[in-house]
Amino acid sequence: MNRTKYTQWFFIGPHMLLFLVFILVPSIYGVYASFTRWNLVSSPQWVGLDNYKTILFNQDSSFYHEFFNGLKNTLIFVGISVPLMVIIPLLIAVAIEHKDVKFKNFFQSIVYIPGLISISAAALIWSLIFNTQLGIVSNLFGSEFAWSATQPYAWIIIFVITVWGGTGGNMIIYRASISNVSKDLYESAEIDGAGPIQKFFHITLPSIRFPLIYTVVMTTAGAFNVFGQPLMMTDGGPRESTTVLMMYIRNLAFSHGESIAGIASAMAVLLGMIILVISACQYYVMNRNAA
Amino acid sequence: MKTAKVSKYLAYLFLITVSAIWIIPMIFGIATSFRSQAEVVNVGFRLLPVNWIVDNYMAILDNTSTAPILRWIWNSIFIATTHTLLVIVVISITGYGYSRMNFKGRDVLFFTLLGISFFPNVVNIIPSYRIIDILGWVNTPWAMIVPGLAGMGNIFLVRQFMKGIPIELDESARVDGASNFRIYFSVILPLIKPVLIVAGLFSFIGSWNDFLWPVIVYTDVQKMPVTAGLLLLQDIYGNYRLIGQLMGSAILAIIPTMLLFLFAQKYFVSAINLNSGIKG
Amino acid sequence: MKKRVGIFLGSLVVLFLLAGCGDDENVIQFWTPLTGEDGAYMDQLVSDYNDTDPEFPVNHVITSDMYTQIYTVLNSGSGIPDLTLIHADRVPSFVKNNLLVSMDTVMETQPELKADNYIAEAWNAGIVDDVQYTIPLDIHGSAMYYNKDLLEKYGVTHWLDDDVVTFDEMLELEGKLDEGQYVLNDALIGWVALAQLQNFGGDIEGANGEPTVNTPEMRQVIEALRELNEAGLMTPYGEDGYLMFQSGDVIFSTDGTWSSTAHAEVESLNFGVTNIYSPSADVFHNRSSAHLFSMLKSEERTDEKEQGIADFLEFIRQNSIEWAKAGQIVASRDIIESPDYDQFIQSFFTRDEKQEASLYIYTYEHYPYVAEAVDNYIPDVVHGEIEIDDALNEMQRFVDDRVAEGDTELEEAAEAVE
Repeated sequence: MNRTKYTQWFFIGPHMLLFLVFILVPSIYGVYASFTRWNLVSSPQWVGLDNYKTILFNQDSSFYHEFFNGLKNTLIFVGISVPLMVIIPLLIAVAIEHKDVKFKNFFQSIVYIPGLISISAAALIWSLIFNTQLGIVSNLFGSEFAWSATQPYAWIIIFVITVWGGTGGNMIIYRASISNVSKDLYESAEIDGAGPIQKFFHITLPSIRFPLIYTVVMTTAGAFNVFGQPLMMTDGGPRESTTVLMMYIRNLAFSHGESIAGIASAMAVLLGMIILVISACQYYVMNRNAA
Repeated sequence: MKTAKVSKYLAYLFLITVSAIWIIPMIFGIATSFRSQAEVVNVGFRLLPVNWIVDNYMAILDNTSTAPILRWIWNSIFIATTHTLLVIVVISITGYGYSRMNFKGRDVLFFTLLGISFFPNVVNIIPSYRIIDILGWVNTPWAMIVPGLAGMGNIFLVRQFMKGIPIELDESARVDGASNFRIYFSVILPLIKPVLIVAGLFSFIGSWNDFLWPVIVYTDVQKMPVTAGLLLLQDIYGNYRLIGQLMGSAILAIIPTMLLFLFAQKYFVSAINLNSGIKG
Repeated sequence: MKKRVGIFLGSLVVLFLLAGCGDDENVIQFWTPLTGEDGAYMDQLVSDYNDTDPEFPVNHVITSDMYTQIYTVLNSGSGIPDLTLIHADRVPSFVKNNLLVSMDTVMETQPELKADNYIAEAWNAGIVDDVQYTIPLDIHGSAMYYNKDLLEKYGVTHWLDDDVVTFDEMLELEGKLDEGQYVLNDALIGWVALAQLQNFGGDIEGANGEPTVNTPEMRQVIEALRELNEAGLMTPYGEDGYLMFQSGDVIFSTDGTWSSTAHAEVESLNFGVTNIYSPSADVFHNRSSAHLFSMLKSEERTDEKEQGIADFLEFIRQNSIEWAKAGQIVASRDIIESPDYDQFIQSFFTRDEKQEASLYIYTYEHYPYVAEAVDNYIPDVVHGEIEIDDALNEMQRFVDDRVAEGDTELEEAAEAVE
């Protein structure tokens, strides 16, 4: 039966074609570029592993410094923003789904709508709010310094805008998932004398495991690619302490001077490998749980 | 039921606090769109304007040559809607292929593609642009609509969700003589509706908010989506100096997505049930 | 219902496809990075030109990320614009990479497109190895705005008498300022530092063409700027000093010529413009850039079209008074010498030869890297966030590494020897 043998292509073929054209070919080019010296204009020159050697081992090179500083800052961002972007939406979802709470869609809308506004407008709103002269935050906290230029406050304003704009999506998924947990489970737990906290940990969390892990994976991958928020809120400062890796990569490739696309590509490939390893671990957990 | 009462008040307290924190910046942003530049820089923090002015909005709507914002919003609606519909078609079909079809190397192939898709596409825009150019899609909505269909994240979600649907359902349909396509269409598709809605929602917002790629593939100001267009409002050194006007444009730009959300949200809770497809 | 949606989407598709057509071979595709208000002024100029019914009308395309877009179209070889407005600092590397066509044909077609008719600094920014690659539109750069009311309040209007405010003059106000008020902000401080480097007699290019950032002169510049900050005269680190100037709490704002239009929007602000401050009134510079018309290499551009471009550039030369509204220093002598131009605040910078000579454009090949290093490090080091020695070393390393990486020619030579 030749027909059944090839029916899978009906299902995976169209996407495969799209994947080849729009992801595989450009990615191969990107990886190839990481082994070259290239200014985006003249043809790339093969340099083997030189770019990787410079980035990873040449401690005198500014590229080495930029890569590791960028990686450190990216990991700080991922390490703090991902838990925030899971825990805060989860708490809000739990509160909204409290059985006696009314105006559920009203609360949901208020939290969700800021995520729709463009990043540049959001950054402008928050910079005005954090502005020492014009803003409210410094009056509230009585601080005399500019938050964007003082650590750890520079990170804090980045997390504030990230959470403000990014909570809504995960919150909706959690809320829907929680509302679909069988009520019988809660009732039988109440009969057993379980309090709200036990119910949350023993019934809610295990029941929404799949959406939880899915959002963790997607939020993590997104956090590794961050650059809009630090770029607009702190411009990477003070002293490059909030310059994330994607900012260095983009600067190397597309700044005012001649492009240094080979090094930029190598950094992007390294970042991709890190995301790959971390996501693989997360997927492994997810797969095991879902099976 | 004393604890229930306490927890209810705690929930309200928490939600009202959160709502206040979330909404104040929005109100401030909206209010700023009704302020003059002089007021923005001179009056200390005030939630509402001293003098309400609509000049910012007049200026925005007046400019239909270099910044036709209504046109941009319309372009974005077309792009995001078409993209979302196609995403739903592609991921459901492909997800079926990777979870229900049995062929050699299926999972290896799937995870290889997934791994490749993780690499950040920074310098890849050069070859990507070239492909779009060869296809003749520069300055057309297809440049925004089609490449995103190749993504793997949503297919993973769908595949994972389908794995939770009992295979017995397929088999009984197969016994009745149903083809693979029939099983996909009549058995699986209705069951994966929740996950398709989630993927659709995120695809829509993702497509609406993308601003790096459209800047490259559009040179025609009349054809741009709104996020790329808003970048044209900054000054030549990348700063937004007319603060009220930028706010006004950003507010106008979120109205369609906001309406969509307000309209659709009552369906979310019943439609998005990611738990059910999964065997415990 | 479904069918109707299908028809609706289908007709949309057709609509968009149709809209994609209509590229006319006789249209000059003209790309600029002029976002914001500037784009509207250029649009006006272009549309005035098209009203003259030229053989080759111009289509003005504004892109918010023009250089990335240029790289992508050059790589794909189609859609290359006929005429492009680029910044002066791009010229050396574009020429080195053989991306630009000389303006010879254009200059032959319109003989008035010549050095004598433009500000020298703007014209010369387009010359590499005696070949003219660009025709200038404007010079734009650092300018120092002053708040007239604050100058009077502190009784220091005489600082402006010689048109140069010095470091020493500003230091007189140490400890005499009201709370929350400052003498100057740190807007575009990287550009200020590059102007000071000229004032202190330094340069960024060594005798053998190598980049020199870690120099005694650069150290002097940093120390002098630091002194202003340590005396409490400069707006604090991370504050939006530009907005603080607009709110009337800062005497001097060192931002750009183009900002005058935005400052004018603030009715309460009573301001004027002068030179960037300097160590002495005798030597002063305003670090500048220029918008230059250029033609990227393209097989599709015919000689006839180049002549069409020449006609357009000649029109611009005669009519770019419109461009002065954007706050820029127009490069065409006809314009700046016309009485109408005097109403514009930036006419200050071209009112005599000494002023004109203060406009300084860096034309060193690796200037963009140096500027990037300066922009990255100067705010930190001036505000005392990093030691001067470390900053100088790191800036030098930053530039050296980038230069070495971009030096493909050296590599090719080395390979040839092997």
